[in-house]
Amino acid sequence: MKKFDTSVKKVDNEEKMAGLAIFTCDIRMDDAYFAVQVRSEKAHAKLKGIYVPKLPKDYYFISAKDIVKENVVNIIASDWPVFADKKVNYIGEAMGLIVGPDKGMCLYLASLCKGEYEELEPVFEMKNSYVHKEFTKGDVSKFKNAKKVFTEEFTTGYQEQVYLEPQAMLMYMENNQIVVKASMQCPFYIHKAIVRTLGCKESDVRVIQPAVGGAFGGKEHYPSLMAAQLATAIVKVKKPIKMFFDRKEDITYTTKRHPSKTKISAYMDAKNNIIGVKIHVGIDGGAYIGCSMVVLSRALIAATDVYTFENVDISGDAYCTNKVPSAAFRGFGSPQSIFAFELFINHLADYLKVDRMQLRMKYLVKQGDVTSTSGLFRDPIVLKELADKAMEMSDYKHKVKLYAKDKSFRGIGLSMFLHGCGFTGSGESDLIKAQLRIKKDKNGIVTFYTSQVDFGQGNRTTLKRIVSDTLEIPEDQVIYDAPDTNETLSTGPTAASRTIIIVGGLAAKAAAHLKQIWKDGEEQEIIEPYVGPSYIKWDEAKMQGDAYPGYAWGVNVVEVSVDPITYEVKIEGCWSTYDVGHAIDERILMGQADGGLAQALGWAYLEKEVAENGMFKQKTLADYSIPTTMDLPNMETELIDNPFKYGAFGAKGAGELTFVGGAPAFALALEQAIGRKVHDIPATPEYIMELLNHEN
Amino acid sequence: MIQHFVPTTLKEALKILDERDCYIFAGGTDLMVQKHRGSGLLPNFDKDILYVMNIKELDYIKTDAEGNLRIGAMNRYCELINSSLVPDIFKTVFKEIASPNIRNMATLVGNIGNASPAGDSLLPLNLFNARVVLSSVNGNREVLVEDFIQGVRKIDRQKNELITEVIVPKCDLNFYYRKIGSRKAETITKVSLMGGYKIEGGKIKDLRIVFGSISTKVVRNHFIEEKYQGKSVNELRARIDDIINEYDHELKPITDQRSTMEYRKKVAKNLLRDFLKQVK
Repeated sequence: MKKFDTSVKKVDNEEKMAGLAIFTCDIRMDDAYFAVQVRSEKAHAKLKGIYVPKLPKDYYFISAKDIVKENVVNIIASDWPVFADKKVNYIGEAMGLIVGPDKGMCLYLASLCKGEYEELEPVFEMKNSYVHKEFTKGDVSKFKNAKKVFTEEFTTGYQEQVYLEPQAMLMYMENNQIVVKASMQCPFYIHKAIVRTLGCKESDVRVIQPAVGGAFGGKEHYPSLMAAQLATAIVKVKKPIKMFFDRKEDITYTTKRHPSKTKISAYMDAKNNIIGVKIHVGIDGGAYIGCSMVVLSRALIAATDVYTFENVDISGDAYCTNKVPSAAFRGFGSPQSIFAFELFINHLADYLKVDRMQLRMKYLVKQGDVTSTSGLFRDPIVLKELADKAMEMSDYKHKVKLYAKDKSFRGIGLSMFLHGCGFTGSGESDLIKAQLRIKKDKNGIVTFYTSQVDFGQGNRTTLKRIVSDTLEIPEDQVIYDAPDTNETLSTGPTAASRTIIIVGGLAAKAAAHLKQIWKDGEEQEIIEPYVGPSYIKWDEAKMQGDAYPGYAWGVNVVEVSVDPITYEVKIEGCWSTYDVGHAIDERILMGQADGGLAQALGWAYLEKEVAENGMFKQKTLADYSIPTTMDLPNMETELIDNPFKYGAFGAKGAGELTFVGGAPAFALALEQAIGRKVHDIPATPEYIMELLNHEN
Repeated sequence: MIQHFVPTTLKEALKILDERDCYIFAGGTDLMVQKHRGSGLLPNFDKDILYVMNIKELDYIKTDAEGNLRIGAMNRYCELINSSLVPDIFKTVFKEIASPNIRNMATLVGNIGNASPAGDSLLPLNLFNARVVLSSVNGNREVLVEDFIQGVRKIDRQKNELITEVIVPKCDLNFYYRKIGSRKAETITKVSLMGGYKIEGGKIKDLRIVFGSISTKVVRNHFIEEKYQGKSVNELRARIDDIINEYDHELKPITDQRSTMEYRKKVAKNLLRDFLKQVK
């Protein structure tokens, strides 16, 4: 097996550094019209009609009345309309578009449009469930024999993705096709959304990916809404159309991380052994389900984090509220439930008056353990080694005692976590059915196609390396361009940490296949279908079986100090260890490690987004603070090699893993620094002041 | 149709200002944000604009015969930070304002004219009893910065007047300054405090305290400050709780998207205590 001991220069380094990369907004098309959304001002109301001013020549109002086939955005639940019709369900919901040649005029005309509403009672709290899931493991009737029960509740807040490039889309007609260039994660999601709303043929639509400036899940679903809207408009307007969001619009009206509320109970026997745990995770899905049921699934499957209990009762609800729909964001539900469980097990140790680390180690998952969904942890687990390494790097054992003793307003916290790679259960084999096309010309130049988007994480470089190294040919003999749906078959969305473990594995397999049949001087082409591990059996309705083909593991240690005068937190140190199987390019992985942890820490203590009466209060980057380099220390990260047999060259997923453990490690450190239990994030100075005002 | 004026002399500028109602554009770092309409669109200016950045005669930093620092209206933060004439405490404040790229454009006078409750430069200006010089075709007048700013975006300026200079009197004190934002850089102040004191022979010779982001304008109470002048350091330290109570009614923060009333008030008092404990 090739070891990939060197890191290479990312293929997009130069064009990005020199400002040469062409992002959607950079694409010049002088005859293009602009589209501006006409948005609901009410959180919940019957929509009796929409007042539209008399429009100048060449200006159009596009609404539900113009829908060609189906007024539905093709996002998993298919409940989100392209344009609100007869009812609005959140402030900012699009009721229509103003389309025309001048953007300023479009904005002005849109500001004159008004919904005619009959207001309904809005719901902002998590009380109306629209998706419920539950499953058990072992025998939960044993809970009633418990001698002690310990229960706690935890909450987490919204998080905005703050990708560098806001949402942007350009649509035009060319060769009898609707062509889309956009800031995106999933070209085929956009493709399907257009085909569905227009009822057209698949060959009528072409999606091409330009340079994309960050995504983090925020461009997984929202671009499908924009695409369905612009497609409806282009049928009528018959001109190229652009829709570019400004930062404020993007923060105010596009999807965010689900806020959550988790309740956990542990049941103990007379000897303080844990009989089992009961967990309920609630997530705020906003006005439409979209992908919330899948986010909920992941939150529930990860709910016992890296611990094994014999008897487990897990349930959860996604709640409908009259707010902007929540959707994908790095981690996809699991950061919320893992945050809760990591804090809970530490608090439980305090309640039982036993050593925190001892209790955690007692229930730590081992190879061969049964997962919460009654699947198996089949592969070797090196979590203990990861924890030992992280403790050594951070001097954890010494510091955790030192800071417990004095009132230094300093603390250190350690989190352990996992992330299931790829789509849940048999989703890869049954739903996505990735197919990878690879071809070779007479001169031996190899071209391969995926639908994976490189939005900065480096997969253009990594996937290319996988193919060239498998074929044992120089990298410049391999061509791998950004996705174009006219050329590539679907290898699935760029999501769920599946790019390297699934598509990378598929690319390696296709390349190995091509190598086998390689004939010099001939044109050759292979279409390689994805075949999942045969052991994966998953029952989605019952939430039983093997939830993921493989798991990546990690440990974060965070050290903080707190200013007793201002309650401000300073991150003093961050140390991480990860098992991502085998890293294909270590430097790219370090980029994910630093970025993921920084983003997680932002979620944990800085990034506060609050909805008041259905409207976000923080609408700009002046009010929604993400960490700067000044807020973060140098981060130290080490990897432990543990190759995964189904991944390319032993690689597993890494993109989301690096986000999952930051918040609990931070919160545990903060708890020690202030001598109070933390149950909620973001732990802003305002929250810390309140904690300090109250006795523990 | 909006007209743009780019004079190169003060005389020209004052004449234009006398004839028409203009936005005055120095660094533009507040104005361009306030008038922003959307990417790819011109900003939303609804009246004429007078650009003053080319008036060379307003580009100076000097000390006058009385030892006052005189700063011309065109001086940007980056220049002030690098000037040997500017007191260190001003530099400390300036270095925490916005980001290097903003500081390369923004002027001190602009921060005064913008009159934001969160304007950081207003704290040292207030504490130093700094004055602004307002010029018009009719001549000049001087106003204390403390009086010039009347409330949120409310200033004592006539339509035909231009702020041409800031006069900072010499002030030889020990200083304390804390700016509390939501993060360590590029952050808007949630609450801030600057204190200054001088001890002679164990007695308080001078005591000054200003709070930022705690009311509609910078809070300073001369009555409380003067009350403790001449008192011994020990007495001051013994009465820290009283002093904090005396400021209680002055501190009227709000809850907004950046922080809460409770936090701002509590931290303002904590900072005051921290400052007073350092007086020795």
